Amino acid sequence: MRVRLLCIGWVTWLLVNPAEAADRALSVTIYNDNLALVQDRRDIEVKDGRQRIEFQDVSAEIRPETVSLSAADISILEQNFDFDLLTPAKLMEKAVGQEVTIVRVNPATGAETREQALVLATNGGVVLKIGQRIEVLRDDGLPVRVIFNKVPDNLRARPTLSVSIIGTHAGTRRATLSYLTPGLGWKADYVALYNESDGKIDVQGWVTLTNSSGTTYDNAQTLLVAGSPSQVVGAGQPNNFRMPVRRQNLQQPGTESGSRERLGDYYLYPLAERTTIANLQTKQVSFLDVHGVPAEHGYEYRNHWLGTAETPQSAQSIYSFSTSAHAGLGDQLPAGILRFYMKDKRGDPQFIGESAIDHTPMGSTLSLATGDAFDVKVQAIVDKRTRLSTFDWQTQMRYELTNALPRAVVVKLRQDGLWGDSSIKAESQKSTRLNAEAAEWSVSVPANGKTTVTATFETRY
Amino acid sequence: MRAYPLIVGLSLISLSGIVFGAPAAGVATEGATAAGAASEVLAEPPSDLMVTVYRAPYRDSGSIDLDDLNGFALVTETRLVRLPAGVSRVRFEGVADGIEPSSALITGLPGRVIEKNRDARLLSPSALIASAVGKPVELLRTNRKTGSTERLPGTILSDAGGGVVFKTDQGIEALRCSGLPETFSFEPLAGLSARPTLSVEVQSPTAVTQQVTLSYLARGFDWAADYTATLSQDGKHLDLGAWVTLANSNGVGFPSAHAQVVAGKVNRVNGAGGEIGEVEPIDIGGPILAQCWPRGSTSDQPPMILREARDRMFKKSVAAMAPAAMSLQEISVTAARRVQQEQLGDLKLYRVPERTTLASRQSKQVRLMDQSGIPVGTIYGADLATAYRGAASTGAAHRLLRTKNTVANHLGLPLPSGTVAVFTAYNGERLLEHESGLRDIAVEEDVEIDMGESSDVQVSLTPEETSIDSGRAKLLPLVPGVALRSVKVEDVQRVEVSNARAAAIDFELRLSLPEGARIVRADHPLGTKNGRPLFRFKVPANQSVTVRFQIQAIGDGILRTP
Repeated sequence: MRVRLLCIGWVTWLLVNPAEAADRALSVTIYNDNLALVQDRRDIEVKDGRQRIEFQDVSAEIRPETVSLSAADISILEQNFDFDLLTPAKLMEKAVGQEVTIVRVNPATGAETREQALVLATNGGVVLKIGQRIEVLRDDGLPVRVIFNKVPDNLRARPTLSVSIIGTHAGTRRATLSYLTPGLGWKADYVALYNESDGKIDVQGWVTLTNSSGTTYDNAQTLLVAGSPSQVVGAGQPNNFRMPVRRQNLQQPGTESGSRERLGDYYLYPLAERTTIANLQTKQVSFLDVHGVPAEHGYEYRNHWLGTAETPQSAQSIYSFSTSAHAGLGDQLPAGILRFYMKDKRGDPQFIGESAIDHTPMGSTLSLATGDAFDVKVQAIVDKRTRLSTFDWQTQMRYELTNALPRAVVVKLRQDGLWGDSSIKAESQKSTRLNAEAAEWSVSVPANGKTTVTATFETRY
Repeated sequence: MRAYPLIVGLSLISLSGIVFGAPAAGVATEGATAAGAASEVLAEPPSDLMVTVYRAPYRDSGSIDLDDLNGFALVTETRLVRLPAGVSRVRFEGVADGIEPSSALITGLPGRVIEKNRDARLLSPSALIASAVGKPVELLRTNRKTGSTERLPGTILSDAGGGVVFKTDQGIEALRCSGLPETFSFEPLAGLSARPTLSVEVQSPTAVTQQVTLSYLARGFDWAADYTATLSQDGKHLDLGAWVTLANSNGVGFPSAHAQVVAGKVNRVNGAGGEIGEVEPIDIGGPILAQCWPRGSTSDQPPMILREARDRMFKKSVAAMAPAAMSLQEISVTAARRVQQEQLGDLKLYRVPERTTLASRQSKQVRLMDQSGIPVGTIYGADLATAYRGAASTGAAHRLLRTKNTVANHLGLPLPSGTVAVFTAYNGERLLEHESGLRDIAVEEDVEIDMGESSDVQVSLTPEETSIDSGRAKLLPLVPGVALRSVKVEDVQRVEVSNARAAAIDFELRLSLPEGARIVRADHPLGTKNGRPLFRFKVPANQSVTVRFQIQAIGDGILRTP
């Protein structure tokens, strides 16, 4: 299905007619979650009485149930979305019971013989009635051309929306067609260049919109909405699974308001100029360019409950910064991917990892993992598990932290899976209980050195 | 559709009016496009290239798979652009086919780039047909007998679903369904590039000539370290050499480039891109399929069988094609010079010292290190799981080479992950002993190289008794530190280690016990490793050693209920 729609897209893309665009005004509002609202204003010719109006160049993935048409002095009878595509097989199928012209070519002389034939069936092969005889088309493998007189009404090179209306008086009028379509979406792409010497980042933000809806939107007024309105698509899937705790990028949600336009609780990113969103296109528009934002670099390691590592595991390399107007990016960030770069010894920027962020209000603190640290490792070991009584267990944990860097580092060592019923009976350094689930130690590891943290937990399992 | 590797064009539009730079100098205007007033400008081929290759993000150890390179690269190209005054579309031809368009960055263009576009289509037969739908074409039909070609003006009505329907004065027909040689001849079309192309639209009030830097992440690269270790005849020292093996499966080569590889695991969101709604990066198009109406005849096999047979044939031909198309054609080895290592944040960057050409579908090796005389210990070991009333089990022990990554051991440098092949000197030759994966190892870390199973050293675990009367239980000495209360001792287990080698070996027997269990009595000293009980002992040449121990379950009776 998808393949077919993409093919149609190509067709559509090429059929865009500049003359048609002149009396057509498109506006496209794109939401994050693979959804767009298209408003298509065009001049239509309306006759008096009952008629059918076709709209070509609508999205190939249009949700027909969301279509609404409005124009002066018409009333709508019904709307149809024809997605039966014009292919040779369909053409033949629709010709069943009808006359076609067949042209036989004599392989010896090249001479052509024309005959009229009635198509009887197309089941597996094409069965024709020629005069009073019945033949299978090209059963002998000899060349036979089949010529059809016309293309059946509802076979099209691309899906077409047609609306039956009753016009109250004839004339040209402006009609507004609006519908929802998947296949259009956007996200943000951020580029952060981290300067190791002063611990600052330069951040550029781009909104990246993609169009795989099979249609080109010519010269469209484009508005991007940071948000995903809830959609009911098919049957809902109840999700009763307890999802694993994801690393929280958002450390502290912000409470500042920016100057960006809003729609309800969504932020709006209008494109300054009308633009053409071609099918299979990725378009990027800059929306953020900030220099010299202070950023902190640190390390983090999370151990799951009773996690024992046979070999030392790399800690995560973490960069955190603020989106506040003071000493921060000073903007709210739409969801997307943030790619970190750092300059190498020759001064060339090199990629050091990326992280996805969610919609982030202004004034937030973000802490993003870019990857594993080669030189900072943690080995968590369950030293001893002792059963105190039927349901009470004591667990002795040991965490070996090593640092092969020539500078001291601080690793946030976190033990997950404590639920609410675990308590720490003894520990080599003071931990912070982040929540019922996790405890965290802030461990200093000297340059080219190691630190050991031990803890004894008591749990109900 | 998704089965094909796809290709991209990118196009960026800068609408900003701010321009700085030199006045008019050699303006290359290559004809205005039909789409708008923009003139087409072809950027010069890259004058400087930099390629930084990253490993497949999920691979912890092991080598690259030339048929499926899952790493990626940061490609930075410097190109000269000659802009005329006004709006122009700058085309960067010949970018990597695996480009991830959302990562593309262009710096150095006059003004601020506020809009970038990427159109994904390369010149291909299907793209030609698709772009000609609804436009006048010429149908060429050749008479097989006379050889004369008939040219008919016509229009392509549809190319939906792989079939082509066209219209001529004679009526409506389907392409290549008649059995006659038929094809189309197209009018010249704009907008289809032969090579992966990226384009930018810029507005410039004056003509300028500018160096522009284009950088992007691209798929279809990978690298790994390939270590060769030579064990001395006495097995006490190791010479360790390594290659950096990097490969490019893109259809585009990078001549005379600064090449780097980066060790360490970097985060990628969704592996290597590709989200819902995201456009596939590369579209190389396909052949014109010209699918027809059902063409069964009276002599056909039943359709199902036919279809299956066709599918089988197709699969076979695809399978036969795939390795040829996918595998890299050239393997080039350059030696004598080593890569230089530097720190890049928390990653390790290895720089190929001289400019090198990373050709299309090529793998290349550059020397990483050569260290000799590394002292190693050889240890035989077994990791046994013991269960209450478990069954007897036997197996061969593993041989391990063990050392520490320190300067004193003639190492002391980061070892990026890869594969290590261990050779042993034998009669003046080197013979391969074993090959295993190696993870990223930092300085001062323990290095352990798995040498595989050794059939000369066999280990067997036998549960001797599952309930012991208190008198006999005391036959084994108590493990130091164990205070026996009135808890019953369960399970005496016996492990026998036999050594058929002519030399004594060091053996490490590691046990994993059921939750909450402990060893209370043993006839050998008991240690621990990574929280699990470990017996360390020597096995004399051509002899066996038997280790007996007793396991006690804490909270007896609860664990054992079936």
